[in-house]
Amino acid sequence: MEAPMLIPPYPVPSNLSQPFWDGTRRGKFLLQKCGACGAYRWTPQWLCTKCHSLDFAWVEASGDAKVYSFSVVHRPPLPGFKAPYVVATVELAEGPMMLTNIVDCDPKDVKIDMKVKVTFDKVSDEISLYKFRPA
Amino acid sequence: MATGIKDRVAILGMGCSKFGERYDAEASDLMVEAYREAITDAGIDPSQLQAAWLSVAFEAMNIGPSAIPLSMALRLPTIPVTKVENYCASGTEAFRGAVYAVASGACDIALALGVEKLKDTGYGGLPVRSRGLAYDMMANSGTAPGFFAQIASAYRAKHGVQRDDLKRAIAHVSVKSHANGAKNPKAHLRKVIDEATVLNAPMIAEPLGLYDCCGVSDGAACAIVTTPEIAKSMGKHDIVSVKALQLAVSNGWELQGSGWDGSYFHTTRVAAKRAYDEAGISKPREELSMFDVHDCFSITELVTMEDLFVSPEGGAMKDVMDGFYDADGQVPCQIDGGLKCFGHPIGASGLRMIYEMYLQLQGRAGERQLKNPRLGLTHNLGGMPNQNVSAVAIVGRYGD
Ligand SMILES: [Zn+2]
Repeated sequence: MEAPMLIPPYPVPSNLSQPFWDGTRRGKFLLQKCGACGAYRWTPQWLCTKCHSLDFAWVEASGDAKVYSFSVVHRPPLPGFKAPYVVATVELAEGPMMLTNIVDCDPKDVKIDMKVKVTFDKVSDEISLYKFRPA
Repeated sequence: MATGIKDRVAILGMGCSKFGERYDAEASDLMVEAYREAITDAGIDPSQLQAAWLSVAFEAMNIGPSAIPLSMALRLPTIPVTKVENYCASGTEAFRGAVYAVASGACDIALALGVEKLKDTGYGGLPVRSRGLAYDMMANSGTAPGFFAQIASAYRAKHGVQRDDLKRAIAHVSVKSHANGAKNPKAHLRKVIDEATVLNAPMIAEPLGLYDCCGVSDGAACAIVTTPEIAKSMGKHDIVSVKALQLAVSNGWELQGSGWDGSYFHTTRVAAKRAYDEAGISKPREELSMFDVHDCFSITELVTMEDLFVSPEGGAMKDVMDGFYDADGQVPCQIDGGLKCFGHPIGASGLRMIYEMYLQLQGRAGERQLKNPRLGLTHNLGGMPNQNVSAVAIVGRYGD
């Protein structure tokens, strides 16, 4: 008998996050933009962080960001992840910061303030994960 | 206008189980172990308990839902019992429930008990909780060390610190906690270590190695609280009272391009300011006698000393290397071994910290006893650097 393949747990879209995951599946990087004050936000939330308005739209973002901070994980949380890999906080051109992975790059070459660009990793028919690579 | 709870509530008794790999005990054994010490210390009959709070973070591991497990284990007199969960601040949340119940006048005597039984996972870290928006959006590739290690990178960038200098300072944080934990008979890890051991340990998440990370433990801790007047009427002396209890919870501000630079904990600064106001403390570096802070990782402890306004911003490395926080330093930190060595049964940790402050203030800390402490602060942090809960409690001698 073959051993079961170990795969990391994938996100389960919610009412709130479904449009985001629909976007990544189509290769589009969407963010919520407040209809009242224009602020972008992350993670998905019903209320604007800045003005508490409920009015928002999902709009396509640039996908441009820079590395704010990072670490290299040598011991992953579960089997199925290939360590070492980079976990990072990136600052999006639109303002919000996002936790993500930096890929297509030797972990030794990641630097704070490095310019990065969003990229998508299709892991199932439903889910394409968002990651960032050197711009 | 609310004035806070300073000196309205006294600790009547406390207890704490042995922490560690307690394969010998079920959760109910751990609860009873902590409770028996607390109720004996309080010198009351169980029928005098009027309300209770249970804290546990991972109820699915050996505890079960609702407040019933506590009421059953302690055979409480059919009183209101509430279960709370707030990540690593859960224990302080249970304490807050009991303290507020007494401060409000709703109860004369209330109990708080935290418990966790995690070692059955066979895993050194936290059980993975894969669901919920924040985790889903991150696809779970982040680990707790991976999140907290980013504080180190951001701290280095902000203060222009070399990697090896920071690594040596955080190594000293762990060496100090191991030295303290070795003197604590209830601690999970009781082994003195040296700097080379820390520096040469396997890497977990750069720059955090094995000895920069606390593990998890099995254990329970318990507090029984009342008013200072009732404590006095029972003939208690050396009364320890609550000076402040504060909690700050992230609302997403940190990630919104708001100016947070990733090198500190916003919530801790907010909670600390409120706690100092409530306790009437204006110079924490001079006024506080000791701390027990949330050293989930050595880097967390180091930046927390700045977030609590004890070390100046950018100055914690120097204080750590100068021995300011050592057992014989000016303001000892983790005198009981901290999460690193006393252990981290999540739901019990906040109460365990208060337990050590209480013992120290009553002069009952044995080999670890500090000279004439007057005010002690405890701090918990749960979640990730960018979104978390932070609790600050201050206890001290009543009448000071
Ligand atoms: Zn808005």
